[in-house]
Amino acid sequence: MSQRTIHVDYLARVEGEGALTVVFEGEAAKEVRLDIFEPPRFIEGLLRGRDRLEAPDVTARICGICPFSHQLASSLAIERALGVETGPEIRQLRRLIHAGSWIESHVLHAFLLHAPDFLGYPGAIEMSKDHPELVRTALRVKKAGNALCAAVGGREIHPVNLRVGGFWRAPRRDELLPLLPELRWARDAVADLVPALAKLPFPDLERDYELVALLHPDEYPMFEGRIVSSKGLDLDVADYDEHLVEEHVQRSNALHSRLKGGGLFHVGPLARFALAFDRLGPAARAAARQARIDPTLRNPFKTILVRAVEVIEALDEAVRIVEAWQPPAAGFAEVPRRAGRAGWAVEAPRGLLYHAYDVGPDGLLTRAKVVAPTSHNLAIMEDDLIALAPQLARLDHAAATLLAEQAVRNYDPCISCSTHFLTLSVERR
Amino acid sequence: MSPGRIICLGQPAAGDDGVGPAVAARIEALGPPPGVEVVQAAEASALVELVQHPGPVVIVDALVGTAAPAGLVVTLPPSDLSTAALTPLSSHGLSAGQALALARTLAPEAVSPRVRVVGVVIAPPDRYAARLSPPVAAAVDAAAEAALVAARG
Repeated sequence: MSQRTIHVDYLARVEGEGALTVVFEGEAAKEVRLDIFEPPRFIEGLLRGRDRLEAPDVTARICGICPFSHQLASSLAIERALGVETGPEIRQLRRLIHAGSWIESHVLHAFLLHAPDFLGYPGAIEMSKDHPELVRTALRVKKAGNALCAAVGGREIHPVNLRVGGFWRAPRRDELLPLLPELRWARDAVADLVPALAKLPFPDLERDYELVALLHPDEYPMFEGRIVSSKGLDLDVADYDEHLVEEHVQRSNALHSRLKGGGLFHVGPLARFALAFDRLGPAARAAARQARIDPTLRNPFKTILVRAVEVIEALDEAVRIVEAWQPPAAGFAEVPRRAGRAGWAVEAPRGLLYHAYDVGPDGLLTRAKVVAPTSHNLAIMEDDLIALAPQLARLDHAAATLLAEQAVRNYDPCISCSTHFLTLSVERR
Repeated sequence: MSPGRIICLGQPAAGDDGVGPAVAARIEALGPPPGVEVVQAAEASALVELVQHPGPVVIVDALVGTAAPAGLVVTLPPSDLSTAALTPLSSHGLSAGQALALARTLAPEAVSPRVRVVGVVIAPPDRYAARLSPPVAAAVDAAAEAALVAARG
């Protein structure tokens, strides 16, 4: 039987370093490997012995794209471990900066890094020659997200204002109100792009995923709720380790996550959208209707549509919070120096992110655990490629390579985060 | 001639990537010449807008090098910037070269007719660092001077 290999050294338009190899026997994928060779960062080891207040600043350095999610997850885990209670304004400010991080991350990925795949361009520069308004709009919306993150976090990247207990300083109302016109414009501008996005040529791939996400009783999930799945999982975040396990894969610097018992699962925008569709606001739901997607969506290539819907939701949420913003008397709650142990999960732009810490009686960290969305998704990414193999096998090498890369980019993988994690080869044997 | 704009790229809390902000601080301390504007940007996508300027534009950024020694200051034409896809080391989505190419496509008439890049060579980052390494810190004055020279057009 003939064998064929697709191999991609350095996946473009994803963050970090990795490679992808698909080995075919006929139309079946005999082997799929996502090789991750960005050096492991040993973040968890680096945290041991450091003060509990240092965790947000250290974990923010894991990644330049999602530092806010790591800061929130670490802060909330340590607050839970030490019994710190924060007020409603801190919660709103956290939702605001989390919305900002979804906006800047999703817009960069969906419109500048992933859209060229569907429109047939090698990248954003080439795409901008034929679709300048799409690129201009994306850059302007991203700028609005960056401005929101800078206004609340002190910086667009690697923010300095978040801390365990809240924020070093809560922004004044007059510091946030100037953001409103651009946030409102961005919400409408992204909504105007949705009909065109819905007409993109999406490869056929329907998957029977176990979708996993946080589920809040009333709101679209950001950093609160139970961990639930489309196949019946329903647990308190405190029970994470009882149900989700990480395993070392020899070729990879990143750990692969599975459900206890071996089941694969999928985290990210598709999971949130399917599980919490009824928590979306009216603007995001209207966009979903225009995109012709609903909670039954299981085609991973259409995640670009979900990201657009989530950008609208995040912008809508940001507008609501800024319009009503009244700063609290104090930006943060005091954090006691005592022993404790807890984990917390947030919905980072790429999906479920879990942090857990043990704090000693001296306030120093004795254990840290960070499981990034890309680690959660690595095994299911490989499984998607196995499912896509019959389509890949019928394409010439260049087209097969492009489609396989596109399938990985559906996940917007963040390799730095997962190594604490990519190159594509297709082999036909 | 229209005044020059010096754009300093980087993040002060990311080791040698903070050389751009350090150069901005040095020029501000010296007092920039009349009409020369100094701006900072944390990531390259901001360049798309910032290079749309009638006068000379200077981009100050860290250059990751393996062959050249850390601390070497070089002034380059923008054609020397790669417009290739995201490099494996970047965590910000667009490189400076890509952002400049995007600006030239989106607003060809508005991009400065004279863009120069002042680069400070840094060693490939391999560990957490919160401040500049000694050879890069020692290059800040020379990079500030090179940026001011380039900003004159």
